[in-house]
Amino acid sequence: MARVFNWQLGREMSYWYPESRPQRQFAAVFDTNKCIACQTCTLACKTTWTSGKGQEYMLWNNVETKPYGSYPLAYDIKLLEMLNGQQWSGAKYEGQTLFESAPAGERVLGWRPEQRDYAYPNVGEDDCAGQVDHGEFLSLPHMNWFFYLPRICNHCTYPACLASCPRGSIYKRQEDGIVLVDQGRCRGYQECVRGCPYKKVFFNPMTGTSEKCIACFPKMEQGITPQCFENCIGKIRLSGYLSPPGKARPDNPIDYLVHIRKIALPLFPQFGLEPNVYYIPPIHAPVSFNQQLFGPGAGEAMKAYRNAMNDPDLASLLCLFGSTEKVINRYHRQGELAVAADEKGVELVRVPMREPVHIRPAVDQKNQLVRINCP
Amino acid sequence: MRYTILLVALFSAACSRAPKAANEVVAVASAKVPAQPDDATWEGAPEYTAKLVPQDLVEPRLMNPSTPEVRVRSVTNGSEIAFRLEWDDESKNDMPGPSRMVDACAVQIPEKTEKDLPEPQMGQEGKRVQVTYWRSDWQATVDGRGDTIRDIYPNATVDHYPFQSKALEKGSDAEKEMAQRYAPARALGNIRSGPRSQPVEQLVANGPGSLSPGEPLSAKGKGAFGKKGWAVVISRKLPEGLSANQRTHIAFAVWQGQQQESGARKMRSGWVSLLRKGE
Ligand code: SF4
Ligand code: SF4
Repeated sequence: MARVFNWQLGREMSYWYPESRPQRQFAAVFDTNKCIACQTCTLACKTTWTSGKGQEYMLWNNVETKPYGSYPLAYDIKLLEMLNGQQWSGAKYEGQTLFESAPAGERVLGWRPEQRDYAYPNVGEDDCAGQVDHGEFLSLPHMNWFFYLPRICNHCTYPACLASCPRGSIYKRQEDGIVLVDQGRCRGYQECVRGCPYKKVFFNPMTGTSEKCIACFPKMEQGITPQCFENCIGKIRLSGYLSPPGKARPDNPIDYLVHIRKIALPLFPQFGLEPNVYYIPPIHAPVSFNQQLFGPGAGEAMKAYRNAMNDPDLASLLCLFGSTEKVINRYHRQGELAVAADEKGVELVRVPMREPVHIRPAVDQKNQLVRINCP
Repeated sequence: MRYTILLVALFSAACSRAPKAANEVVAVASAKVPAQPDDATWEGAPEYTAKLVPQDLVEPRLMNPSTPEVRVRSVTNGSEIAFRLEWDDESKNDMPGPSRMVDACAVQIPEKTEKDLPEPQMGQEGKRVQVTYWRSDWQATVDGRGDTIRDIYPNATVDHYPFQSKALEKGSDAEKEMAQRYAPARALGNIRSGPRSQPVEQLVANGPGSLSPGEPLSAKGKGAFGKKGWAVVISRKLPEGLSANQRTHIAFAVWQGQQQESGARKMRSGWVSLLRKGE
C-alpha cells in the first residue's frame, strides 16, 4: 500500500496505489434541504443509461429517505458497524479507513449485498412504522425528522472499487477524474461491488460485467451537466470541477462551497475514499446524525446555510443551482444578481436573488371586485 | 441375449475396476477426442488427482480452502487434446447475479513447450500461459437457457425495453443496435458477455491480473452436474511442439459458486507434468 494525502481526513492514509490526482476533478454539490424525493433524477438516469437487459434492478442514481432508508439495504449501517465506531479529533480523523482496516487477504474492508438487498428501493421508507393512536395530532415543530438523500457514484479520489479490482479494469480518467469500469476488460468478479462502500457498482447478470454511473461523461465533455442534474425538479444539484484544497478559486462555485465556505461536505468521509459529491446537510436533522454522515464540519455548515439570507455571496450562488443545463465554471454576484459563466468566461445565465413580488389589494377598486386567489 | 450378457459383464468390469492412478497427467492417444464427460473413451485414460490449494499470492486471496482436489483424465488425437475434470460439489451454482457466483474450472498450459516453466500462478512477463476456462452458466446457455432476465429470475416483470419499440422492426439491425446501446460489454465485443456457442473461452496471461482473450485454439467444453459434483470436458488444440511421448506442464483451478469464489478467489494446483502418450 502507498501513503497518500486525504484532505477530507486532514491526514495521510494508506491506499492501494500512489497518489495521482487528475488534471481536474468532476464534482457535485447536492442541497439536501431542497430535495423532494420526486425521483425524476432516478428516472432520468434509468431511461438514459440502464434500460437494457440485466440492468433492470440498477439505480445508478437513487434517492433514499434518511434516517431509515438505504439502497441497497443497510449499505451504510452495515459498514459503520464493521468499522466499529471510530473517532475524529477536530478536523482530523483518528480512526481507520476502509483501506487501513482491510482484513488479511483483502484489499479493502467490504461486503457484498445479497440480491434481496436491492429488491425494495424506497419501499416502506416514507411510511409510518406504527399505528396512529386515537387522539394523536400533529404538533409543530415535528417531534421527528427525516430528509432525502440523493446518491450517485462519488467519483472518488481514492476509489475503493478501483482498488478492489485485481485486473485493473476500473480506471479514473486523468482529464476529469471520472471513474469508469472498462466494459471490454471487466470479467465480472464483483470485487468492486464488494469494495465500494456506497454500493454504486452493480453487477449485470446478462453481460456478466459490472456497471456504474459514468457521470454522463459524453455530456460533461461538452460542458453540459449530467442527466440527473439537468432534470432535477428541485434544482438541488450543481455540477462542476473541484480544485485541490490549496488551489481553490473563489469564483469556482464548487470550490467556493466546498473549500472556502465549507458548507458542502462529503458523504462518509471516514471511509477514506475522498468522495467528490458534496452535500449541504439538512438543517433540521440532528447535528450528531449529520456528523456521522458528513463529518465534523456538519454543525458549522448547518449554521452557515441557516444564515444564507444574510450572506449575499452565498445566497446568490445557491440561486444558481439548476439555473442552466451548462456546467458553471465561474460565478460572481452583481448586486442582486448571480451571474454564471463557462470555462471561457462566456456568460451562461444571470439569476435574480429575489423573485419580483407584486402585492395587489384584495379589492379591485376600479372594477369594484373582490379578488380571489386561484390556485 | 448374448449381447446383454456381454454388456453386463463389461459394465461390471468397469465398475469394479478402480481407475488407473497416475502420478502425472497422461494424455492417451485415441482416434476420437470425446466431447461428453460420460464418453466411454475416458475409461481408457488413467486418472490423476491434482491437489488444490487456495490462491494466496495476490489480494484478494481465498482465505478458506474449499475444493481439495480435482480428478483429471486426458485424451489426444494428435491435433486436439481433451481433459476431463471432476470435482466434488454439493450444490450446482449456475445462475449469475449480484452476489451469485457460478461454478467454474480452468486448465492452464505454458504457451511454449520448454523446460524452463513460467510462474504457476498465471505465468509471467515473457512467459505466457494459455488458459482454457469453463463456466457453468455458459454451459446452461449453450444447453438452451434463454438470453432474457426471466431465464435467470423467473418472477421478473419488465414493462418495456427500448429495443422493443414499435418503430424498430423485429430482428433488424436497428433493433440490435438499440439493444447494444444498453449492453456496453456486448457492444465492445467482451468475449464473456454472452450469447455464446461454447461454454469455454480461450485466454492468455503473463502474470496475475493480466488475463485477456487469446487465440481461439478451437477451445470447446461440456460440463454435466451429477450426484457427486461436476464432470467437465475441456478441449483445445494440442500445445505447440508437444510431440508424442513428450512432456509439457499443466495446472488446474476450480471455483465453487456456493463459496462466493470468482476471479482471484479460487482453488488452484501447482504445475503438474503432462505426458502425451505415443500411439
Ligand atoms: S462511489 Fe463507489 S463506485 Fe463510485 S468511485 Fe467511489 S468507490 Fe467507485
Ligand atoms: S451522472 Fe449520469 S450516469 Fe451518473 S447517476 Fe446521474 S444520470 Fe446516471
